[in-house]
Amino acid sequence: MMDLTVDFKGVSKRYAHFNLDNINLELPTGSIMGFIGANGAGKSTTIRILMGLVHQDAGTVKVLGHAMPAEQAAAKMDIGFVSEDMRLYAAATLHWHMNFVSSMFPKWDQAYADKLIRRFDLKPQQKIKGLSHGQRVKAALLLALARKPRLLVLDEPTTGLDPVARREVLGELMAVLADEDRTILFSSHNTQDVEQISDQITFIDRGKIIDSDNKEAFLDQWRRLRLVLPQNSEVPRLPGVIDVGGSGRLPVLTTNRFDPGMLTVCQDLGATVQAVDSMTLEEIFVSSVQHRRETVAV
Amino acid sequence: MNYSMVKRLILKDWYLQRIAIAASVLGGIGALGIVCLGGQAAFMAGLVLLITALIAVGAHLAIATMVNERKEQTLSFVMSLPISHAEYTLSKLLGTLAIFMVPYLVLVFGSLALFAIPHGVPHGLLPFTTIMAVEILLNTCLMIAVALVTESQGWTVAAIIVGNISINIVGYFVAHLSGIARGMQGGSVNWSTTASVTLLVEFGLIALMLGSTFYFQSRKRDFL
Repeated sequence: MMDLTVDFKGVSKRYAHFNLDNINLELPTGSIMGFIGANGAGKSTTIRILMGLVHQDAGTVKVLGHAMPAEQAAAKMDIGFVSEDMRLYAAATLHWHMNFVSSMFPKWDQAYADKLIRRFDLKPQQKIKGLSHGQRVKAALLLALARKPRLLVLDEPTTGLDPVARREVLGELMAVLADEDRTILFSSHNTQDVEQISDQITFIDRGKIIDSDNKEAFLDQWRRLRLVLPQNSEVPRLPGVIDVGGSGRLPVLTTNRFDPGMLTVCQDLGATVQAVDSMTLEEIFVSSVQHRRETVAV
Repeated sequence: MNYSMVKRLILKDWYLQRIAIAASVLGGIGALGIVCLGGQAAFMAGLVLLITALIAVGAHLAIATMVNERKEQTLSFVMSLPISHAEYTLSKLLGTLAIFMVPYLVLVFGSLALFAIPHGVPHGLLPFTTIMAVEILLNTCLMIAVALVTESQGWTVAAIIVGNISINIVGYFVAHLSGIARGMQGGSVNWSTTASVTLLVEFGLIALMLGSTFYFQSRKRDFL
C-alpha cells in the first residue's frame, strides 16, 4: 500500500461566492507535487485546509497520519509552510525569528540555517522591514527548511520575485529534493516553476481538481496534431481529442491520450499529418482548463 | 494543551511590545508625578493622564497583537507553527493581559500608594479608585476579546470607543451610589457592601468576557 503524506477524501468547503468541491488528493511520501491553478481556483483554500487553518465542511483530511484540523499541532511539527501572503515580524531581526522558530522545533538544524543564510546572502541582524521582497521570501523559506520538515508546503512562493531571486529559491528547492523522504506540495500559477521541480502535477479550476498525474504522463500524453485534410473531407473523429482548432483543411487537434496509432488512423482517413507537437505544461494546463469549462458549460 | 508553546507565543508578544510597555510605564509614572505635585488641578490632570495611559496601552495591545497580526499577514506565519487554535487563543488572552498587567499594576499600585503619603487625597476615595481601576481592566478585557474574536480593526475601534464612554458612565454612576458616595470625601476608608458588590460584578463580567472569547474562538472554522 502506498505511503501517503497527504490524503484528502471528498473534501468540500462552501463560501458565499466560491465552493471547493469534493477534493480527492493523494500525495505519496517522497513526491513533489505541483499544484497548478489560476488565481482564485482554490489552491490556497486547499492548502489552508491541509494546514488545519480552515475547517472543511465535509470530507476527511490526513496529513502525515494526523487527522486535520483536530491534530494540526502534531502535524505542523513536521511541516514547513511558506505562502506568498506570509509575512514575518517587520520590527524583529531574522536572527530573532530564527531563535523563536528554533525554540519550537526540536529538529531545527542551525548548521543548515547558517548555510542557507550564506547561500541566500541574508544578514541575520537585519530587521525584516529592511529586506526586499525577495529576501523576505528567502528568509521565510530558511525558517521553513531549517526545521527539517517531512512535508514542505509552498503556496505561490515565487510570486513577485525577480528572475534572480526566483532562480535562487528554485535552486534551493531542487537541492532539498535530494532528501528522498521529504514530500513537497508546490502551488503556483507559474507552470514553468512547477515543471522544473515537480514529479506529480495536479490541476485545479473553479474549486475542482480537473486532472492529476505524474509529470511525464502529462508531457507524454498531450500532443497537438497538425493535419492537412483532402478537399471536402471532415476532421477525423479520434478518441481522446479534446479540442479541434485551426481552420478548414488545416485543423489542429489537441489530445490528452496520444497514441502513435492515431497517426495511422488519420492517414487511413486520407489526412496528412503535418506535425506532431509536444506541449508545454502551460499549454496542457490551459487546454485542460478550457476543455473542462466547455464541458461544464454544455 | 501544550503550555510550553503557549509560553513561547507569550514571550514573542512580550518582546514585540516591549517598547509600548516601557512607554506606557514611563507615561504613567509621569502622570503619578503630576498627582504628587499636590493641589486639585494637578490631581485631576494627573488622574486623567493616568487613565489615558492605561486605556491607550490596552487599546494599543489589542490592535498590535491581534488585529495587526491579521492585517500585516503575520498570522499565517504564527499559525504555521506547531500550535492549535486553542493554544493560540490562550496565548493571546494570557499574553496580552500579562503584558497589560505590567503598566497596569505599576500604575494602580502607584496610585494606591498615593493614599499612604500626605498629599491631600481623601482616603475615602480608595474604594472608588479601586472600582475604577478594575473598570479599566474590564475595559481592556473587552477590547482584547473583541479584537481576538473579530480580528477587525473597525470592531476593535468600536470596542475602544464603547469602553471609553463606559468608563465615564460607570465612574459617574458609581460615584453617585449612596454606599460609595457617602464616604468618598471622608478621611478614612469606608468599604461598603455596595463597593464589594460592584467589584464582584466587575470581576464576574471579566470572567464572562474571557469565557465567551474562548467559546467564540472554539466555534471559528476559518483562522486565515
